[in-house]
Amino acid sequence: MFYRQCGVRHVSYAADWQLWPLRFERLQVGALLLAAASAPLWLPGLYLGSYALPVIIFATATLGLDLIMGRAGQIHVGYAAIMAVGAYTAVHAVRAGAPFEVGLLAAGLASALVGLVAGATALRVKGLYLAIGTLALQFLVEWVIVHVPAIGGGAQTTLQAPAVRVLGVAPVTTLGARYWVALAWCVLVTAYMLNVGRTGFGRALVALRERDYAAAVLGVHVFRYKLLAFSVSSFVGGITGAVLAFTYYRAVTPEQFGLDVSIQLLAMGLIGGLGRVLGSFLGAAFVFVVPIVISTALPGALEAAGLGLPVAVLSHLQIIVYGALIVGFLLLEPLGLAKIYDNVRSYFLVWPFGYARRTMG
Amino acid sequence: MSARTPRWLVGVLLGALTLLGAGLAAETGAAEKVFRFACACDLTKVYTFAVEEIVQAQKDYVELLNLKGGVSGHRFEFLVEDSGNEPQRALEIYERFKRQGALYFDGWSTPIGKALTPRVLEDRIVLGQMFVGRGDAVDGRTFPYVFPMGATYWQQMARAVEHIREREGGAPRGKKVAFVYIDSPFGREPLPVLEELARRLGLEWKGFPVPSPATEQSAAWTQVRAFRPDWAIIWFAGPSTPAAVREALRIGFPLDHLISVVWIGESDMKVVGEARARGVLRVEGWHTGRDVAVVQEIVREVYEKARKGHGPVERVGWTYYNIGLAEVVQLEEAVRVALRTSGEPLTGEKLKRALESFRNFDARGLRPPLTITAEDHGGGQLTRIGQWDGARWTTVSGWKAPFQDVVAEQVRKSAEEFRRSGR
Repeated sequence: MFYRQCGVRHVSYAADWQLWPLRFERLQVGALLLAAASAPLWLPGLYLGSYALPVIIFATATLGLDLIMGRAGQIHVGYAAIMAVGAYTAVHAVRAGAPFEVGLLAAGLASALVGLVAGATALRVKGLYLAIGTLALQFLVEWVIVHVPAIGGGAQTTLQAPAVRVLGVAPVTTLGARYWVALAWCVLVTAYMLNVGRTGFGRALVALRERDYAAAVLGVHVFRYKLLAFSVSSFVGGITGAVLAFTYYRAVTPEQFGLDVSIQLLAMGLIGGLGRVLGSFLGAAFVFVVPIVISTALPGALEAAGLGLPVAVLSHLQIIVYGALIVGFLLLEPLGLAKIYDNVRSYFLVWPFGYARRTMG
Repeated sequence: MSARTPRWLVGVLLGALTLLGAGLAAETGAAEKVFRFACACDLTKVYTFAVEEIVQAQKDYVELLNLKGGVSGHRFEFLVEDSGNEPQRALEIYERFKRQGALYFDGWSTPIGKALTPRVLEDRIVLGQMFVGRGDAVDGRTFPYVFPMGATYWQQMARAVEHIREREGGAPRGKKVAFVYIDSPFGREPLPVLEELARRLGLEWKGFPVPSPATEQSAAWTQVRAFRPDWAIIWFAGPSTPAAVREALRIGFPLDHLISVVWIGESDMKVVGEARARGVLRVEGWHTGRDVAVVQEIVREVYEKARKGHGPVERVGWTYYNIGLAEVVQLEEAVRVALRTSGEPLTGEKLKRALESFRNFDARGLRPPLTITAEDHGGGQLTRIGQWDGARWTTVSGWKAPFQDVVAEQVRKSAEEFRRSGR
């Protein structure tokens, strides 16, 4: 009923290849984009600044991580370190007088370079060993930031991100402006990730993921594409790190890019569903928002039930509930939230004629 | 097509959405006379050892104040939520509590304090950071809304070195000092002060960094043993503190020559073994124990009469309990002064001015006299040296703020750098 497939005929390659062949879905995407773009006009500041803004930034980071994990199949446990490189590069560049855009570009390039070096380990090791290799990157970057005053600013310091302008004119000072900068970058990365699977590069990555020997036999240059995957993914991560620093924290400290952030990004990818653009958004929203919802709802619910628990027990209970939710979701649907969305979608695709064969899945 | 999503899962998802909606709806606060202060505390990760006691104390004291009818007609409300020591979660909690009207925040964590600093300066909300955080925050001109109200890590280091100077008869030249610290911004913070004081006093010192989380320290202490120091200063917090004391015991280092940063309490002594840990020295900026009227009042009124205590009664009067308690007593006084001098409604700005009017305020016996001014938010930074006698903390050397020129010079340099370049 909603997803009317009747009458959808593709008479050109372009029409056959479009991202959303169903009109209903084009409308959905359009409405979502409109809602996201106009959010500063109608969403209260608390939700814009503390939920929407960080969620889209972390979703963008998850997309970048997904390129290397979901598409190319290389595990990466040091993605926050890559973001840190970008954030510190951009903040230093802008403080030195470079325009914001140049700072972002420098962030991307610096991260790509670091990511490339880290990626070189992927040429020799795979799986868990690669995880350890990227873990080393995480600790190395953190150590360098804390121990080199020229980068980190010395013990206990926070580098404030200066106020910036987009294209030298539009100041990024209000929450709305900061949100729009983050959203613009998020839309750009999303568009890239939606399309990368249809390019030669994207197909080469998938071939690598499935079996790199086989890919090599088929003529995929394993060396080149592995390094390319790491550097492109790090480029995205670097700029996202810079965007995080300029639009959300407005300062950089090493703690913002610690190991737990890397783990959270991994969790966002896994819970959302690897290799899926939608998954990155759902995963980021889940990992970021659900603990907050639990921590606001649970104490009230327990209070109402007449159970006044000590605050320490309460906060651990929240973690238990959150962990149970993650385990539950992954047990039920190991392919992540994106797959749950797919199931719902494919149900409605032929609804109310459940017996019909499903197409366009 | 694979298995369909089960019905109940749809139910769970819908339920979650409803909860979210309810959360969105329940945003507006009531209009009665309330003073709200908040903590985006770490109750689950690194600083639980201290924060649990602190939160217990603050809830107890709020209970006591409200039992007595509040302060100048204002009820106290303490908003507390676990931040897991993650800056992004603390920011979200801060924004939410700010909208609920909280005028005073504390994170009891350096990373969280750092993340909140730019926002409190903008929002004109007071950020407390007793004994934690960046040392230059005592400069009230540069950080008008940040209130350390106690000794910074720089001043604590100065006090530890002063104790060595005292005990060596005022002539510590040539004495060897081992500085064993967690290799994190917190552990590295006091290094410049130690360096300068060692140069001035002719101490021979060596740093022994232990990689975070520093629960395994045997390698570092073996090196300490080879260095054969006369004194050792340790800079840890949480599980790494008892680990350090145990390693010191293992190499046979005399504990009465071991001085710790403030973060060492009864719970750490229990981990080491109360009797074994006898002799450990620490820097103190507050009074520990139950021999203070306000602590006894809590035991009597909140725990015995009202039976509304917020944790185990034996923790009342412990190290971190009294630190947390002192903070609320200071807030109580600030609220009273703010309402008396600038009237209702309370704002962050009035609270700040009230705190800046403290003159020799001793937080009902819990603190050394605090004098806070618009320029100096350190409150005099008096500290003393306490010693663990196997059952409780005793005092071995009185309130002092030594080497103020060295510390002030650090503050000046660092605050100037912050003003100039935002570091």
